[in-house]
Amino acid sequence: MNLHHLLKPAMPLRHAACALALLAGLAPFGAHAQDAGKALGGLFQSLIRPNQPAQPAPAQPNTAAGLAGALLGASLSPGGQQAAQGGDLFKLLSQSLDQIDEPREIQIGQQLAAVLLGSKPLYPDVALQRYVNQLGRWISLQSSRPDLPWTFAILDDPGFNAFAAPGGYVFVTKGLIDRVADEGELAGILAHEITHVTAKHHLIAMNKTARAGLLTQVISSQLKNDLGGMVSSQLLALGKNMYSKGLDQQDEFDADRTGVALATRAGFDPYGLVGVLQQLRTAAPDDALFALSLSTHPPAQTRLNQLEQAMGTRLDAYAGQPAVTVAQRLNSANRRPTAQAPSKAPAKKTN
Amino acid sequence: MILSKYKTQAGMVIAPLLAALLAFSAPAQAQPQGEAVLIKRESQLRDAPGDSARSLAPLPPQTSVTRLGERQGAWIKVRMADGTSGWVHMFDITSASASSGGAAGGALRSLSSFFNKGSAQAPSSTVSTSTVGIRGLGAEDLANAQPNLAAVAQADANRVDAAQARQFAGSASLSSRQVEPLPTPAPPPAASGGTAPEQFSR
Repeated sequence: MNLHHLLKPAMPLRHAACALALLAGLAPFGAHAQDAGKALGGLFQSLIRPNQPAQPAPAQPNTAAGLAGALLGASLSPGGQQAAQGGDLFKLLSQSLDQIDEPREIQIGQQLAAVLLGSKPLYPDVALQRYVNQLGRWISLQSSRPDLPWTFAILDDPGFNAFAAPGGYVFVTKGLIDRVADEGELAGILAHEITHVTAKHHLIAMNKTARAGLLTQVISSQLKNDLGGMVSSQLLALGKNMYSKGLDQQDEFDADRTGVALATRAGFDPYGLVGVLQQLRTAAPDDALFALSLSTHPPAQTRLNQLEQAMGTRLDAYAGQPAVTVAQRLNSANRRPTAQAPSKAPAKKTN
Repeated sequence: MILSKYKTQAGMVIAPLLAALLAFSAPAQAQPQGEAVLIKRESQLRDAPGDSARSLAPLPPQTSVTRLGERQGAWIKVRMADGTSGWVHMFDITSASASSGGAAGGALRSLSSFFNKGSAQAPSSTVSTSTVGIRGLGAEDLANAQPNLAAVAQADANRVDAAQARQFAGSASLSSRQVEPLPTPAPPPAASGGTAPEQFSR
């Protein structure tokens, strides 16, 4: 924790106080801080952007207040109060998965989400973020775990990828949003990621790695990233390892198959994901925009073959609804009078 | 610092690429248009999506067709060498690159992975080598990532609840349907370690 950072002028004390209210519940550092405001400013800043001069989060409405509000929101999130320390979570992960109840699963997910959001920021279009949340939440309602605090987010990245984290976090890149032909394809991808969460694929994978003791090297090199004990360096290392290595092949096939049924259940074209995989198949393996998704997943043609065997013609009766593009959906949402029209939503930003 | 360097790098090329991307995705269907694909098994070129539509021409295995932009459910529009266009089922095509190794349809498909062992190891090296121009989130970004809990809180604030999601579904004319789980097929042949004949033979 770096106490040398000074309180930014843009960060009035009352917001620091808000932050204190939140952080007090998470990190036991209060006793050391002679000047609470100062110390908090430093911690707050290093949390936002540890390596760079502080710059308010990208283009969210009225930054300081928005951030403080968002932080308060975080303190209300499930499991937030009795937060186990990151190190404890890692210990649990390396023992038995039975010990990880839902609140702990969500906490682990928050920490992994922090890693993903530390590698790429949120895409600064609130209307688009909201749309993905509506779409994703609707699909998640048809899943086996409809009551998780499902959170969907678009990463500001031109690449084509999607990630999930335990407890209900699902991420897609802006590049993915731009490339899907229609909402049905996006739904297919979200349903695939939702399945990774409901089946706890990430927890199982991290448990396997942690138990095998495969990470000692990575861990020692990551120790300096420990942020005052709030985020476990071991957990970070596990997460980073998992997202760059990918999940088990069989888990991907499972997520494809179960995801297709899930998207269909939610009223979407069963062939949305198939359409995406056809597109992925044509991407050259050395295309930098597709590199990570291709290297962390089984070959698209193999996935298509597996899906063909599972689907056959079983879902054809559910197919054939008119395709709606993401842009069309956003436009019609903007035109609806019930939408509380937040100071002119960016029209046609998506395509 | 490394991150910001990438940003500048990407920033310089982002405009023309973005323009190209927009041009590509502007039509209603942003599918891989113009891609040459192969017919995987005996099928028919149909004049409309669906097995009951009129047949325009027989499509023997290995016929090369060009994919047009449109997709409707399982069916995509293609054009034959003689200019006739019509519809085929997505599961009846395979990428043209898969043919070189003999990955044809039907029974042969299961054998293909033995014959072209493919450079399955290639992908891991591509992640780190692609540093010029525009690039997507990669292993490097993950390795350098500093956890950003404030951004998680922002993402949490964008959540919608079940009632809001149902309202969205209603306005989008989406309704839930009963769908049986799909059966689990046998794992792909040579599933160990990600043999990748079709994907990486191109």
